[in-house]
Amino acid sequence: MQSTFSGIEIGKRSLIAHNVGLTTVGHNLSNAATEGYSRQRVEMKAFDPIYRPQLNRAETAGQIGQGVDVARIERIRDGILEGRIVSQANGEGYWESRDKYLRMVEQVYNEPADTSVRHLMDQFWNSWQELSMYPEQMASRQAVLQHGKALIDGIHNQYNSLDRIRQMLDEDIRGTVKQVNDQISDIAKLNEEIVKSKAAGDSPNDLLDQRDLLVEHLSKIINITVDKRDPDEFSVYTSGLHIIQGKIARPFTTVPDTANEGYSKVAWKYSGEDALFRGGKLAALQQMRDVDVRGEIQNLDNMAVNFTDLVNDIHRSAYGLDGKTNTNFFVEHPAVLNAQGNYDRNGDGAFDSTYLFRVTGANQLQAKAQIGLEGTLTFPGQSDRVRVNYYPTDTVGDLVARINNSSAEVAARLDRNGHLVLKGTPAAQKERPDFVLRYMEDSGQLLGGYAGILRGPGPENAFTWGQPDASAILRPDAQYALAPLSHPSAWIGINEDIQHEPASIAASFKDPGETEGDPGDGSAAIEIAGLRNRPVMVGQTATFDDYFADTVANIGLKGQESELALKTQQTIMKDLRDTRQSISGVNIDEEIAQMIKYQHGYNAAARFVTNINQMLDTIINRMGV
Amino acid sequence: MYRVTSNLTNDDMQYFARRREFMMNQVQNRMSSQTRIQNLRDDPLAAAHSTRYQSYLTRLTRYADNIQYTQDNYHVAESYMKQAVDMLQRVREIGVQGANGTYTKSDMQKMAGEVNELLGEFVKVANGRNGDGATLFSGQETQGEPFRAVYGNVAGAPGQVITGVEYTGDIGKRQTEIADGSYIDMNFPGNEVFWAENQHIFATRDATSYQVPENSSFFIDGVQINVSAGDNIQAVISKINDSAAAVKARLDPVQNSLVLETTSPHQLWIQAGSGSPVLQDLGVVSTVDNTPPANAAPTADVFGGSLFDMIVRLRDDLYAGKQVDVGGRALRGIDSGLDNLLSSLGSLGAKDARLQVTYKRNQTEIPQITELNSQAVDVDMTKAITDLKMLEYTHKAALSTSARILQPTLLDFLR
Repeated sequence: MQSTFSGIEIGKRSLIAHNVGLTTVGHNLSNAATEGYSRQRVEMKAFDPIYRPQLNRAETAGQIGQGVDVARIERIRDGILEGRIVSQANGEGYWESRDKYLRMVEQVYNEPADTSVRHLMDQFWNSWQELSMYPEQMASRQAVLQHGKALIDGIHNQYNSLDRIRQMLDEDIRGTVKQVNDQISDIAKLNEEIVKSKAAGDSPNDLLDQRDLLVEHLSKIINITVDKRDPDEFSVYTSGLHIIQGKIARPFTTVPDTANEGYSKVAWKYSGEDALFRGGKLAALQQMRDVDVRGEIQNLDNMAVNFTDLVNDIHRSAYGLDGKTNTNFFVEHPAVLNAQGNYDRNGDGAFDSTYLFRVTGANQLQAKAQIGLEGTLTFPGQSDRVRVNYYPTDTVGDLVARINNSSAEVAARLDRNGHLVLKGTPAAQKERPDFVLRYMEDSGQLLGGYAGILRGPGPENAFTWGQPDASAILRPDAQYALAPLSHPSAWIGINEDIQHEPASIAASFKDPGETEGDPGDGSAAIEIAGLRNRPVMVGQTATFDDYFADTVANIGLKGQESELALKTQQTIMKDLRDTRQSISGVNIDEEIAQMIKYQHGYNAAARFVTNINQMLDTIINRMGV
Repeated sequence: MYRVTSNLTNDDMQYFARRREFMMNQVQNRMSSQTRIQNLRDDPLAAAHSTRYQSYLTRLTRYADNIQYTQDNYHVAESYMKQAVDMLQRVREIGVQGANGTYTKSDMQKMAGEVNELLGEFVKVANGRNGDGATLFSGQETQGEPFRAVYGNVAGAPGQVITGVEYTGDIGKRQTEIADGSYIDMNFPGNEVFWAENQHIFATRDATSYQVPENSSFFIDGVQINVSAGDNIQAVISKINDSAAAVKARLDPVQNSLVLETTSPHQLWIQAGSGSPVLQDLGVVSTVDNTPPANAAPTADVFGGSLFDMIVRLRDDLYAGKQVDVGGRALRGIDSGLDNLLSSLGSLGAKDARLQVTYKRNQTEIPQITELNSQAVDVDMTKAITDLKMLEYTHKAALSTSARILQPTLLDFLR
């Protein structure tokens, strides 16, 4: 026999259940525009019916249903799709950041307009041409000086802009790491709450939504994988290492890296090891800072160092209007202060390396003469040593080309007097300094007796930078120049002496037998102006035109690539997100229809309760009175 | 069937609207700035080409300026040289007149007077300056005047007259660039243009047993000649003859001494280089004063004079009344000087012709390169405008469609 009030109980259950349904519909409607919200559905199930096969059951036909109960409020979410989104989002994050910064770098170049460094350099060459035609005039010298200053300003400007971008990247990295740490600790806290809630038997839908949103944001910043196999421990990994393990978070920290000019590197906070990311915004920022923008600055430095070196080379042998010679047109500070090139690299107070930029041989060579010697030159390469062979039938010009085309981080050329010049180039690895000669060894007599740089063949006469006073191992009549300590393009300037006395700008060469150049001789000026066309650069780019065209093409192609890649990634992510929207998003019309359904159900339940009430009223108040 | 949510329609509309706006902005920027390349990424290779074109155009304009300047210089020099030719013709006429033997001594002295005046004018012409005030015929010594007159007394002449003209310039060439890597001379050293006879220097020191003590070098006409230790006189002579200088060396059979002769009329320019003083030891160059051109050894004989020397000789012969000499060596000197001057004019004309050709090529290249640059970076206005129109139209259509779809919901229809 069932209870008298079971009808009301059924009605009550129905009212509550439909109320929950309506509340959920209201919740869905309110959160239709919330980011990361997945619609929730009330799952109703019939209440346990009576009577179960047990000894104390009533002897009547069963089972009688007992109404409705809310089984579960679940959120509609596709876990597999989530996994795909999380694993794909780092691509979008990577290309977004990269695209943004590449655009900034592109704009630094100001090409192909009239305000670029290239244009200023063209004007500088033109002013030397002008000087060559009017070498006895001060006006043409003033023009050279002014154009030189404008060019130097342009180079400084370009360096400063690139450096600023690099600093912005550094700040961005630090800010992003903080952001990552915040998100990680938030997710860990949520994990704790969710586990507790689930243990109590509930579905913490909104907490799960929040966690999923945080995980999605995190996945744009670094590449992560999510492991949900253990329901009590939600884990997030990056490159196989735990970032979050349940409620334990493993944050990151930024440490200034002395090998990278003091810029920060990202490390795990508790173990101190370097953190490596393969994708996402953080990886893009690191790569832009340490590879792309650093490469652009290195290119600019390389151009500046070689340009000033070449102009100075000619200018020093030439005579000014006031008879002065051996003046540099460009100077660069700071260079290493010790005259032998000794430098204290690790900051412990004792000299430990020798920083030489350029070594000039003592002997005069002819470009077309065959060397008649055989052997192997050893130079430092990007990661290890590079060997360059030479044979007796090679000409000096061939050898110079072979050194330049090899992957050695050394550049070679013959200067205007026919001496062999070896120069350091920018280093590929950021721990090594740029423009420093690191190693020179010859197995034969080429660098020794022929060119006049080393004292002899073999490793005992080789030049190594990693010890102080290494310049003493060179031949005493070989000349060397000290390496710049920091970026040359930031520090080059016009010689103060020339700025105060423009008459010292040298345009003429000395006739043999005379003590100074003639005022009407502009041959040095013409030779300097001729530098613009000669293949004087190093490595792949030959003339200055090539350098500028190459830089422009390079950065433009990178930008084009990143724009395309970003569009692709954005389209992929849009597709995935649209699918997720389709599954988990709120459709207002649908919710309103649901609402009508629950409303009717509620009304029906209310009606039912009224009826039962009336029935009970009849029994209680009207029967037997 | 794909379930569409309210957000999805909104998001999609926004996505496409943003993309369209971006494209419209790009097209507008291109039209306003007239270049297709707003950022380097729009066409990196065209941007790289454009930088080369622009640099090349700057160079070409510079070369055009250089060519104009040089041609102006040439024209001024040409006019001076033509004046010189005219004056020389007049001197020659006088010389021919004076040689015919029908004039008296006082008549000849009057003719000499006219030659004297012309000589003075000649020196002024040789010291001529161009528009900037730099002398044209002085090599690289453009500050002072290249020709300096020396005055003295001559038999039959009233007062002090010019007895000689010294060359104080040098032989340096001033060059300018007229095309990539291509240079041309801008000046004409006076000791080539205004020279009449081949110059000879006869040393008088016996050189049969001479040996060069150490590796040395010396310069003849600016060409460096290297001799090694142990070379005898024949080796030195053959090195001089094999060099690029327009000079012939030989051993004088009578005195066994070194003789240097120019092969075309100009002044021999000898400078010592490094190492031991070979030419001083051979008696060619003075040990006291080493600066050319007046550095011949006092024991050496120097023959072959400049145009001025020829005119002075003619005038002196006229003053002295030596009619035979006037018609003989004086006129011959004038003739060879005239020849040389005319050949200088000829070579100047040839250089001018080369400049004309180069200028023409330069002027055709400039518009060609400008056009290439324009093709690389300029925007095609027609295409840009049609693109803009298309985008505008799409934008309007999309907005009006979205407006229709986004508005009605079920709520509008429930009571």
